[in-house]
Amino acid sequence: MARPLSPHLTWYKPQITSVLSILHRLTGIALAVGSIALAWWVVAVAVGGATFANTTAVYTSIIGQIFLFGWTLALSFHLSNGIRHLFWDAGYGFEMTTVNRSGMAVLLMTAVLTIVVWLIALIG
Amino acid sequence: MAELTLPKNSKVQKGRHFAYDGEAEKPRTFRIYRYDPSADELPRMDTYDIDLADSGPMVLDAILHIIDTIDPSLALRRSCREGVCGSCAMNINGTNKLACLTHIDELKSGEVRLSPLPHLKVIKDLVGDLRTLYAQLELIEPWLQNDQAEPERERLQLPEDRDKLDGEYECILCFCCATACPSYWWSGEQYLGPAILLQAHRWLVDSRDDRTGERLDALDDPFRLYRCHTIMNCTNACPKGLNPAKAIADTKRMLARRG
Repeated sequence: MARPLSPHLTWYKPQITSVLSILHRLTGIALAVGSIALAWWVVAVAVGGATFANTTAVYTSIIGQIFLFGWTLALSFHLSNGIRHLFWDAGYGFEMTTVNRSGMAVLLMTAVLTIVVWLIALIG
Repeated sequence: MAELTLPKNSKVQKGRHFAYDGEAEKPRTFRIYRYDPSADELPRMDTYDIDLADSGPMVLDAILHIIDTIDPSLALRRSCREGVCGSCAMNINGTNKLACLTHIDELKSGEVRLSPLPHLKVIKDLVGDLRTLYAQLELIEPWLQNDQAEPERERLQLPEDRDKLDGEYECILCFCCATACPSYWWSGEQYLGPAILLQAHRWLVDSRDDRTGERLDALDDPFRLYRCHTIMNCTNACPKGLNPAKAIADTKRMLARRG
């Protein structure tokens, strides 16, 4: 019998390092899909009439709003963590205490940006 | 493509339970990954109840206690028992550590779960196959290469140049970092991983070495170096407190500056 592979992903303890890293990738994928929805909306605005009315109806429905909220979260996270990556690429912030703190800062920024965007959207 | 779950022949089964005979003063349960290559069986988790009052304070002490008093068939690598040889690296309660440097009391209460370093072919029990990692170490030529005539005595180095090796030469090649890296799990055949790249950097920054350009050429590859996505699991795992992620980022910047 071939030698077994030792347990990895499912046994390794999730930690802020790996969890934020996989979230960065997942939000990136979500945003790539979201950009199609954004492009569709721009097209609908240009076409106008029934297309615009139907698109607006879908986007303002409960499900549409849930998706938009998700994309706001994804964008806020990807942007904040992207800035963190820029610091790393420039050679800063590699000590574990800094890594943990910047990770928490990213999560805080994600919440703040999302709330600000939705407050503006709901008030405006 | 990344295989997120274990292949069929690697699924871990329920194993045997060695209950403690009598009243333990300081009871603790160890669940240990077992695989016997001579038996045609899947790997399993065996459970050992021991009395910590009879054992030393470290995880390695407890394992040796289990081997001595309960089950001599349990296999692991160990040598120095003080964190300088790097042999007893294993996965302890979900993260990679040296068994000899890990206090049992430091761990969360409850069962202690031990398994081999992640995503390695298992030779037996807690012993993983490190041959790929050793081959990758050989690939980066981890020795001084200098074109000058041999000096009468040692090759001299300024103190500030010597300082650049601090935090890098101390690596004991236990591979806690490499086997904690998801990128190394999915691309370990081509990506060199944090342990080897830390070694590569150690020779890149050595003022006595004349092969910096060639060494950078050898690393300038989408897989060998650039599969590092700054996940930082490596630095988080290093039992010597070294920073492979920082060394990798510096290597990337050396290449970027070179153009």
